[in-house]
Amino acid sequence: MGEFNVWTSLPAVAPEIGLTILAAVVLLLDAYLPKEKNRARNIAFVSAVSMAVLALTPFIWAPAPNTSELFWGGMVRHDALGQLFDVMILLAGAITVMIAVDDSGVGRRGEFHLIVIIVTLGGCILSSSADLVMIFVALETVSIPLYVLAAFRREDNKSSESGLKYFLFGSFASAILLYGFSFLYGLTGSTQLTAIAAGLNSEIVSGNLVAVLAALLMVIVGFGFKISAVPFHFWTPDVYEGAPTPVTAFVSVASKAGSFAVFMRFLIEAFGLPAVSADATSTLVVIDGQTIQTFWVNLLTVFSILSMTVGNVLALRQKNFKRLLAYSSIAQAGYTLMGLAALQAQSAIGQDIAMASITFYMFMYTFTNLVIFAGIILFVEATGRENIADFAGLQRRSPWLALAMTIGLLSLAGIPPAAGFFGKLFLFQAAVEANLVGLAMIGVLNAIVALYYYLIIIKIMYVDQGIDEDKPLAMPRSYAWVLGITSVVIIILGVIPTPIFDLAQQGAAAVRLAMGS
Amino acid sequence: MEFNFITVAFIVFSLITLGGAIGVVTCINLFRGTIWLMVSLFGVAGLMVLLSAEFLAAVQVLVYIGAIAILFTFAVMLTRSITSDKMRFTRVWVNVISAGILFVLFALGVIYPVWVANAATHFPVTDAGLATTTDLGVALVSGSQFVLPFEVAGLLLTAAMIGAIVIARDADDEGN
Amino acid sequence: MDILNNWAFVGIFAVMAPVFPALPIVIAWLLRPHKPNVLKSQTYECGVETVGDTWVQFRVQYYIYGLIFLVFDVEMVLLFPWAVAYNRLDLFAFAAGFLFIFLLADGLIYAWRKDVLAWK
Repeated sequence: MGEFNVWTSLPAVAPEIGLTILAAVVLLLDAYLPKEKNRARNIAFVSAVSMAVLALTPFIWAPAPNTSELFWGGMVRHDALGQLFDVMILLAGAITVMIAVDDSGVGRRGEFHLIVIIVTLGGCILSSSADLVMIFVALETVSIPLYVLAAFRREDNKSSESGLKYFLFGSFASAILLYGFSFLYGLTGSTQLTAIAAGLNSEIVSGNLVAVLAALLMVIVGFGFKISAVPFHFWTPDVYEGAPTPVTAFVSVASKAGSFAVFMRFLIEAFGLPAVSADATSTLVVIDGQTIQTFWVNLLTVFSILSMTVGNVLALRQKNFKRLLAYSSIAQAGYTLMGLAALQAQSAIGQDIAMASITFYMFMYTFTNLVIFAGIILFVEATGRENIADFAGLQRRSPWLALAMTIGLLSLAGIPPAAGFFGKLFLFQAAVEANLVGLAMIGVLNAIVALYYYLIIIKIMYVDQGIDEDKPLAMPRSYAWVLGITSVVIIILGVIPTPIFDLAQQGAAAVRLAMGS
Repeated sequence: MEFNFITVAFIVFSLITLGGAIGVVTCINLFRGTIWLMVSLFGVAGLMVLLSAEFLAAVQVLVYIGAIAILFTFAVMLTRSITSDKMRFTRVWVNVISAGILFVLFALGVIYPVWVANAATHFPVTDAGLATTTDLGVALVSGSQFVLPFEVAGLLLTAAMIGAIVIARDADDEGN
Repeated sequence: MDILNNWAFVGIFAVMAPVFPALPIVIAWLLRPHKPNVLKSQTYECGVETVGDTWVQFRVQYYIYGLIFLVFDVEMVLLFPWAVAYNRLDLFAFAAGFLFIFLLADGLIYAWRKDVLAWK
């Protein structure tokens, strides 16, 4: 770490600094702009464009190649993985603001855009946190404003209910997580993740296996809530359905991506990776001859299978589009958990692919989910209905909207040329590299089940007869931009995934080397 | 465990904390529950003093008893027909049993091993190396310690305040 | 032990504080004659009787005030160590404290401009 130097430390938090300034500016704009019709719209454009521009900062102030250094007193890491997560969360923020512009519930209020910026900031810093204090503060910065956003439409009881449920379950999860953190701190006397790994391996902790497992279990439960993995998923459908649709979109990508990133970092840094060669040192935490990794890998494998299966099976029966996406997002969390379980791989390439596949999956999932939600917002604003059956004949009403949503659905289903294909492929590959062939098989089976309900929607949009097919849907320009850009990104990622995946793999290798494994 | 004034103080504060907590969960009247909560929090502040965490004790009194409990009171008074609220959580025993199991689990799994380890090594209690409020002040804003969470916490507080204002305001006085 | 000397005053005070106001009441209770009648035991000897339940629903504005107070209370708690450590801080740490104040002042500006602080 060395002596603290402000100037060399600043690049590690470049997007966060930009977002802080942006938040202050947007707050003052909201407070001082005169009342007029386009007020909130102007604020939204300022926020969206600024966040999209800020998505360049992780590349302008890029980390030194193949390093994963700690900055700000060990609070954050500056590496390629964090860089990628920063980019996807910033773009998710920008897109959320854009698709909220014409949403009658939230877009007219300047505060909405301000709170999205702060959540984005929390997500960016969360995804590179390396210290328990930083993780918790960042996680709350993501969560607490999101509770507010879920309850944003006060005139709508469903939204209030959604906000309250999200708040109760979310704070419950945070409390459990914090309890687990306090155990880890109590056992090791440090909040820094790598120092915790060292502390757990020291003699003082030995004989205290139950305490370590209890702490780990509580942390896993806490993160499990945040990523809505089964069996901690029960809040998801109600919150997704009740919250204003742009908020649902944001919850499903930003909060999930940030949580997955930090969950991955936590497991790697605090509980170690297996040694990949004879001369490498294993950082694995071993207590009383028991590898802690076996415990969490098995646990996550079970959660992964449960999430995939429960999510997909329950999704089959849904009639409401947002509820369907809630169950779909549970299933997607299950696929991604496969990547976490694959961290037990004994080879360097296996560990790298495990980390990189999670990153890539979240990257493509961000755009995939946002394109579908953008389509839903547009449709619901025009018709006021959000059941899947109402989308019948959408192709005749708005061919471009139907096409964009089809691309999104194909990507969720994992069909080429959409990005979801490679997303799933990399995850399955990671599982196979880690000798989790059975898990990969279950994943493939689940993907086939999921195919059914995604393709049904496409069939409804293209083949079925709708009641008012003769009424074309108007496409506001901001939505056209969002739908166009996200669809193109999905296709590009699906055709040439290598640039992003290679960067993620480099980042993964850097993290692995930083662990000394 | 030797018997001295600190032990007495520990027992007194523990009783205050636990008694207050029992008051919170058994009171049907929400308002009285918040008063019991203040009692319990005061006990915790006393325990913090015994642990030489004076600053945290002051924070406990100022923030938890002084502000959060007051906010609870306002929130309770916000609810309609508070006096007629005689609803009671009925499945008490399920919770008592599960809480008991959790307690035994933690006591046996976590507290007991640490206690045994301490009895074996018997670390003497010293005041050396005790961090002061000044140390905390330096740590909070020092670039090689906690400045980043400190600033993010500032943003979080602002966001939480704005968010709470947005959802709690009367709908009719919404100046856009 | 140090902790005893430092906190002995607080302990004595904590014991004395309830005794002090309780004493006059106890003395008065011992000395006073006990002759109640209907008029005396009314809530107010003068003024009007309250109508309905005294436990009424509060206005939400109390809550918002309480909340803003809480936020700045927490801010004060976080800034207090910073102020105590003032002599030991370098320029960066000094500026960090001001950034924190600025972020929260921003929130206050918002509340002010949106007329949240005006009592209606």
